Amino acid sequence: MPQRPYIYPFVFGILALICLTIAPYLVFMYAGIEKEMGLAQKIFYYHVPSAFSMFLGSFLCFIFSIFYLWKRDKNCDLWAACSAEVSLLFGTLVLITGAIWAKPIWGAWWVWDAQLTLTLILWLILAAYHMLRTYLEDPVQSARFRAVLGIIGFLNVPFIHYATKLWRTHHPEVVRGEEISLPPDMKAAFFFCVITFFALFFALLFKRVSLAKAQNELESLKAET
Amino acid sequence: MPLFFTQTLAILQKDLKTEWRTRERLSAMAFFAFLIVIIFNFIYEPGSPIIKTVAPGIFWIATAFAGLLGLSRSYAIEQQNDCLMGLRLTPADPGAIFLGKMLGNTLTMLILQALILPILVIFLNLQIAQALPHLILPILLGTLGLATIGTLFSAMSLNTRLREAFLPLLTLPIFIPALLAAIESFRAVLEGSEITDWLVLSSAFVALYIAACLLLFEYVLED
Repeated sequence: MPQRPYIYPFVFGILALICLTIAPYLVFMYAGIEKEMGLAQKIFYYHVPSAFSMFLGSFLCFIFSIFYLWKRDKNCDLWAACSAEVSLLFGTLVLITGAIWAKPIWGAWWVWDAQLTLTLILWLILAAYHMLRTYLEDPVQSARFRAVLGIIGFLNVPFIHYATKLWRTHHPEVVRGEEISLPPDMKAAFFFCVITFFALFFALLFKRVSLAKAQNELESLKAET
Repeated sequence: MPLFFTQTLAILQKDLKTEWRTRERLSAMAFFAFLIVIIFNFIYEPGSPIIKTVAPGIFWIATAFAGLLGLSRSYAIEQQNDCLMGLRLTPADPGAIFLGKMLGNTLTMLILQALILPILVIFLNLQIAQALPHLILPILLGTLGLATIGTLFSAMSLNTRLREAFLPLLTLPIFIPALLAAIESFRAVLEGSEITDWLVLSSAFVALYIAACLLLFEYVLED
């Protein structure tokens, strides 16, 4: 019977839970209110760390995909698929919080800003990755194809980044409200939120992996009987 | 000539020959592209000045959609009579099979584009005579980009439950940066502005993806 890493989702889950209870205090009470954007800026503390988690997820998917094609280890495929799935979840969060933030600041739910577009396209690739898994039957072939898509998809990130940047400079409509230098209180709250979201990311990832492993075990047990 | 290129040329020759015998794929693609151009005419006032801005987009949407239609057939024809198995059994390098197929698809799409451009000129009243020499390079790079990822994914999509219908879902998200570069450089040429940045982007896209697909195609072909 293969050992499932029950301890990791538990540890990261508890860490995420503790951090998530402290984070709102730091965000709303400790960090000052931004002068121009007011309270709307507070969503930045959840929006940006979600984006970091999303990129971390797609990067992990890329690495595990390479390892899968190289070593042909089923576990690598499992990790790649789970990272992509959790990454898709955080990507959805980025897009939703981005829209909520853009409404009061830019006056529209969606603005074709370079970074938002990058997130959206990456989200589309992750969604395609997820769909590919549901539409393929043979598990070995599915793993191989997804690994190929995981690599091809992640290689696309620099191109999307460069293309959207060029595209937006060609149409200068939006002046980005970029937080270039944050005051120390905001910086502290922000870094805490990054740690919180990474903890949450790993908690979800480990949980998802152990779930997938349990699922595989069940499948093989069913096949035996 | 190195063996790899001989194999590539053999595959290319085979694909072009089978296509030329029926011209089934190309005529379907051309008709579809024609339909797209016509349908796009209904979304704006005829003769409005907006045409110059949207024409590059229409050209590339027609190319991409009709091209995907052709790309999806590029492996479907290999499934008849177990030709794909035959291809696998040949001593040809998987990279050579990929490159041959990709070049075949590129050529088919270039012929398609040569048909779309006059249609655009006639129906959208577009003046491109002077810009034409400057259009060749961006169009070639965009087409190579589409053919590269399309050829890789068309082999993959055939094995899904949706079969060929799954191809656009895989190809389009990856193709977006190159599509953006292709449309923007077309527009920039019409407006007479600089396109070097876009050309750099699309050449890098083509180079990286051809290299990646040459390496990865082996895993797609494997049974």
